[in-house]
Amino acid sequence: MTGATRMKGATRMKGATRLICIVVLLALVLAPLGLPPFAMTLLTEAVILGLFAMSLDLMFGYTRLVSFGHAAAYGFGAYASGWLLLHTGMPLLFAVFAAGLLTGVLAIGIGWMCTLATGVSFSMLTLALAQLLYAISFKWTSVTGGSDGLAGIPRTIGPFGFAALSSKAGFYYLALGCLVGGFLVCFALVRSPFGAVLRGIRENESKTTALGYNTRLYKIAVVAISYGLGGLAGALYAPFAGFANTELLFWLLSGQVLIMVIVGGAGTLIGPVLGAAFFMLMEHQLSAWTEAWALYFGLIFIAFVLFAPEGIWGLATRRRRAHPRP
Amino acid sequence: MSGQFRPSRRAMLKVGLAATATVASPAVLRSARADTGPIKIGLPLALTGALGSVGQQQKRGAELWAKVQNAKGGILGRQIELLIEDTAGNPANCVRKAQEMVERRDCRLLTGITLSSEALAVVPKLAEWDSIFISSDNGDGRLTAESLVPNFFRANISGPMGTRAVSLYLRSAKLQKFYALGLDYAWGHNSVQVFEQETTKSKKEFIGKVFAPTGTKDYSPYITKIRQSGADAVFLVLQGDDNNAFLSQAQQYRLPEKVKLLTEIVDLTSIRAVGDASLGLIGSSRYSFTYDHPLNAEFVALWKKEHNTVPDTFEGEQWQCMKVFEAGIVKAGGIEAAKLRPALEDIEIESVKGKVHIRKCDHQGVQQGFMVEVVKKPGFDTPVPEVIATFPGDETTPTCNTMTFKD
Amino acid sequence: MSTFGLLLSQFADALSQSALLFFLGVGLTLIFGLMRIVNFAHGALYMLGAFVGYSLAHWSGNYWVALAGAPMLVGLFGVAFEFSILRRLYRRDAHAFLMVTFGLALVVGEAVRLTWGSDALKVAAPPALSGVIFLLDEPFPVYRLFLAATGIVVAVAIWQFLERSRLGLLIRATSQNAEMANALGVDIKLIRSCVFGIGCGLAALGGVLAAPLVTASNGMAATVIIDAFVIVIIGGMGSFLGSLIGALLIGFVQVFGNYYAPDFALAFMYLVMLVVLVVRPGGLLGKEA
Repeated sequence: MTGATRMKGATRMKGATRLICIVVLLALVLAPLGLPPFAMTLLTEAVILGLFAMSLDLMFGYTRLVSFGHAAAYGFGAYASGWLLLHTGMPLLFAVFAAGLLTGVLAIGIGWMCTLATGVSFSMLTLALAQLLYAISFKWTSVTGGSDGLAGIPRTIGPFGFAALSSKAGFYYLALGCLVGGFLVCFALVRSPFGAVLRGIRENESKTTALGYNTRLYKIAVVAISYGLGGLAGALYAPFAGFANTELLFWLLSGQVLIMVIVGGAGTLIGPVLGAAFFMLMEHQLSAWTEAWALYFGLIFIAFVLFAPEGIWGLATRRRRAHPRP
Repeated sequence: MSGQFRPSRRAMLKVGLAATATVASPAVLRSARADTGPIKIGLPLALTGALGSVGQQQKRGAELWAKVQNAKGGILGRQIELLIEDTAGNPANCVRKAQEMVERRDCRLLTGITLSSEALAVVPKLAEWDSIFISSDNGDGRLTAESLVPNFFRANISGPMGTRAVSLYLRSAKLQKFYALGLDYAWGHNSVQVFEQETTKSKKEFIGKVFAPTGTKDYSPYITKIRQSGADAVFLVLQGDDNNAFLSQAQQYRLPEKVKLLTEIVDLTSIRAVGDASLGLIGSSRYSFTYDHPLNAEFVALWKKEHNTVPDTFEGEQWQCMKVFEAGIVKAGGIEAAKLRPALEDIEIESVKGKVHIRKCDHQGVQQGFMVEVVKKPGFDTPVPEVIATFPGDETTPTCNTMTFKD
Repeated sequence: MSTFGLLLSQFADALSQSALLFFLGVGLTLIFGLMRIVNFAHGALYMLGAFVGYSLAHWSGNYWVALAGAPMLVGLFGVAFEFSILRRLYRRDAHAFLMVTFGLALVVGEAVRLTWGSDALKVAAPPALSGVIFLLDEPFPVYRLFLAATGIVVAVAIWQFLERSRLGLLIRATSQNAEMANALGVDIKLIRSCVFGIGCGLAALGGVLAAPLVTASNGMAATVIIDAFVIVIIGGMGSFLGSLIGALLIGFVQVFGNYYAPDFALAFMYLVMLVVLVVRPGGLLGKEA
C-alpha cells in the first residue's frame, strides 16, 4: 500500500532534548558577542528563513496542505513592511508586526479560496494566487515599484527610541525573538486540541469531518496562521536586506521553501528551521566553491530522499520506527 | 503508526555542533586586510541561469584585464585579486554575496552586477558598506538620475544613451512612422519612453507601443500588432532569450521585409543564436569588436590570442570598466572610498570606445554612441555588426541627473 | 490586413501555440495520472530535449534526425531515472517525489549548462518548413502549421494508443487502480517505467519542436514549467483529454489576450486557472474534487 501515513508524532520534549535546545538557544543568544560581522549577517538571514520554513510546516507537515504558493506570504510581508517603513514614519518593530498581521488577515481570504479544493488542486490554487500576487506587484508600479521593487528600506527608529533594534545585533535579536516566539506559538498550537484536529485532517479528513469538525474552518485557520508567520518572516527580511522585490513572490521561492521543510524534516517545527539554514548555507558555500554548484545541490537533495527520508531532524534524532518498511 | 521522538543526546549534540561548525567554519570566519596586499575587486555575477551568458562575458572581460594588469605589476605595485561569485541572477543572493565580499573579505570595490534588479538592491547599501561600485552593464537610466548614490559610477552606455543614438540616427533616415516593443520591466519602459520623446521631438510619428513579459515564448501576437500598426520601423528593447525568440519568429513571419527592425542593444551572442534572422538589424551598440580605434584593435588582438574568438558586447564593456577602475585607483593613490570617489569624478580615460569621461554631476561615463548594422562579412561564419554611424558623447548622454536630452 | 485575415492568422497562431503547450502538458499529466508524481523536472527535460536536438541536428545536418532522436534519448533517460531512483519511492510520501524531482531539475539544468555552455544555440527548422504560406495575402510561417499538424497527429496517436492498444489499456487500468491491476497480473513496474519514459520523451519532443522558435537556451526550463502545470491543472491532472483542452484554452487565451489586452499578459494564465479551479476544483475533466 503506497503512501501509508506515518504519524509525525507530537513534539513531546524529553529531558535530554530540552537541555540541548536550551544550550542551542543560549548559543544563538550569545552569538553576536563572538561571531564576526558576516557570520552574523548569515545567521540573521538563516533565522528569518527558518521562521519562513517553520510557518509552512504548520500547513504542510501537520495538516498535509501542500502549498506551492508560500512565497506569497513572504513577499507580501516584505512589501508590506517595506512600504510602511519607506512611506510612513512607523518604527521598525511596529511595521514588522503590522505587516505580519496584515499577511495573516489577507491569508484568511486566500485560505477560503484555496480550501474550495483539496489535494493537488488546493496546491495549484495556492500557486495561482501567489502568481497573481506576483503579477500585481509587477504591474502596480506606483505602490510596489514594479519590477524594481522597493529599495533603500530603512530600519526606522521612530519616536519611541527603539534604536537598539536597528543595529546589527539588535535586529538579530528581533529576528531571533520572532523565530522563538513563532516556535512557541506553533508548538502550543500543535499540542493543543486545535493541533489534534489538524493531525486528524492530515491522517484522514473524511473521518475528522464525520466526527463533527468543520475541517474547512480549521484549514482556513491554519492557512491564516501559517501565512501570517510567513509574512512576519518576510516583514523581517525587507529591513534586513533593505529591499523588497518581485522575486520574493515568485514560485521558485515557493518551491525552495517547500524543499527546506522536507529536507529539514516535515512535521517537526525545528526540522524546517534547520532545513532553511542548511539550504541557504549550502547554496551559499557551494556556489563559492564551484560554478557547477546546482549540480551538487540537486544531488544532495536526491541523496536525502534516498538515504535520509526523515530529513535533517530525522538524522539527528535517529527515529526508531515501530514497524520497519519493506 | 507512531514515530517515537526519542533523540539520543549524542545525536542532538551532533546537530548543534554541525550547525556551529558551519557558521563558524574557516570559510565563514576568514577575514583579510585591506591596506596592503592584493587589491580586491568583487564581482557578484549571474554566472548561471537565464542571464548566465552575460555574466560569463563580464567574468571573462574582468579576468583578462586582471591577468594583463598583473603581468604589468598590478596597480600601485599591488596585485589584483578578483572575487568572482555566482548569484544565479537572484537579488537576494547578490546582496548576500556582495555583503560577504565587503564584510568578510574586506573588499570595497565592486563591479559586474548583471541584472538591474540586483544592482537596485545593492546600490542603497554602498554607503553603509563604504564601497565603490562601477557598473559595467546596468542600463537603467535612473541609476544616474533619481536613484543615484555617491558611491555609484557607470562606465557603460546606459539605456537612454543607446536609445538616443538610435534616435539621432533616425533623424536623417527616411523612416517616419514608429512602433515600439519592449520587455515589460523598468529597462524596457524606460528606453521606450525615451524613444517616444525623441521621436516626437524630431517631428516623426510615434504610433504606439506594447510590452511583453520576460519569458514570453510566443511573440506572434506582438508581431501581428507591429504589422497591423502600419509603422515603417519598430524599436525593440529586448535582450537575451526574449530577443532571440522575437528575432527568430519575426523572420519566420517575414516581418523585416515590411517593417524595419531597430534595436537598443546588438550583441554577438544573439547574432549567433538567431543566425541570418539578425541580418539587416540596425541598432545601438554598447561595444563591438568592429569599432575603429587603435586601443580596440589592440584589445581585439589580445582577446583573439586568449580566447580564439572576437570579444562580445559585455566583454568589451567590462574591460572598459576595469580600465576606469585602474585609472581611478592610480589617480587616488589608494582604494579607500573617500579617496577613490573624488578621483573617479571627472576622470577621463582613452578606452576601446574612444574617450570616456566620468561626469562629476551624475557619475555617468560620457562616451561615443555607435550605430551598427548586422551584415554578412567575408571571413566570418556569422553576421557581424558593422559601424554605420558614430555620435559624440555630449550628444548622446542625457543632461545631468536626468533621462532627457537638450535638443 | 482585413479583420478576417487577422482573425485567421491569429487562429492559426493559437493552434500552433496550443500544440506546443499540449506536448508540454500531456507528458506531465500522463506521469501524474499513473504515478501521482508532480514532476518538477518536466521543464528541465523539455530543455534537455531542445539541446539534445541541437546536437543531433548539428551532427547529422538534418533537423528530422533531431526530431526523432531527441525524444527517444530523453525518454530512455527517463526510464533509467525511474528504474534507478523513482522506483524506490512509491511506498513513500509524496514529499519524496517533490524533492527528488526538484533535485533532478537542478541536476539536469546544470548538466545542460556544463555540456552545452551558457550561450543560446540555434536550431534551424528544416528547409522544407522554413517558408511561408499566404493567408489572405499575409505571410504565415509554414513551420507553425507544421507544429499545429504535429500536435493534432500526436494527440490522435496518443488517444488511439490509450484507447486501443494493449499497453494503453494497461496504463489506464493501472492509473485507475494500481492494486487491482497488480492483482490481475499486470507488471506495474514495467508500466511505470514506460509511462515515465514516455512522459519525458513527450516533454523533450516539445523542446525540440520549440527550439526553432525560441532557440535552445538555459532559461527555457524555468519559463515552461509553470505553463505545463497550469495546462494540466486546468484540464484535470491525469486526464489526457484534459491536457488537450487545457492547452487549447491557454493557447487561445494567450494569443488573443496578449494582442487585445497586453497589460494582462502576465496574469492571463493564472486568472483562467483560478476561475476554472473555483468552478470545478478538480479541473475541467479532473477526477479529484
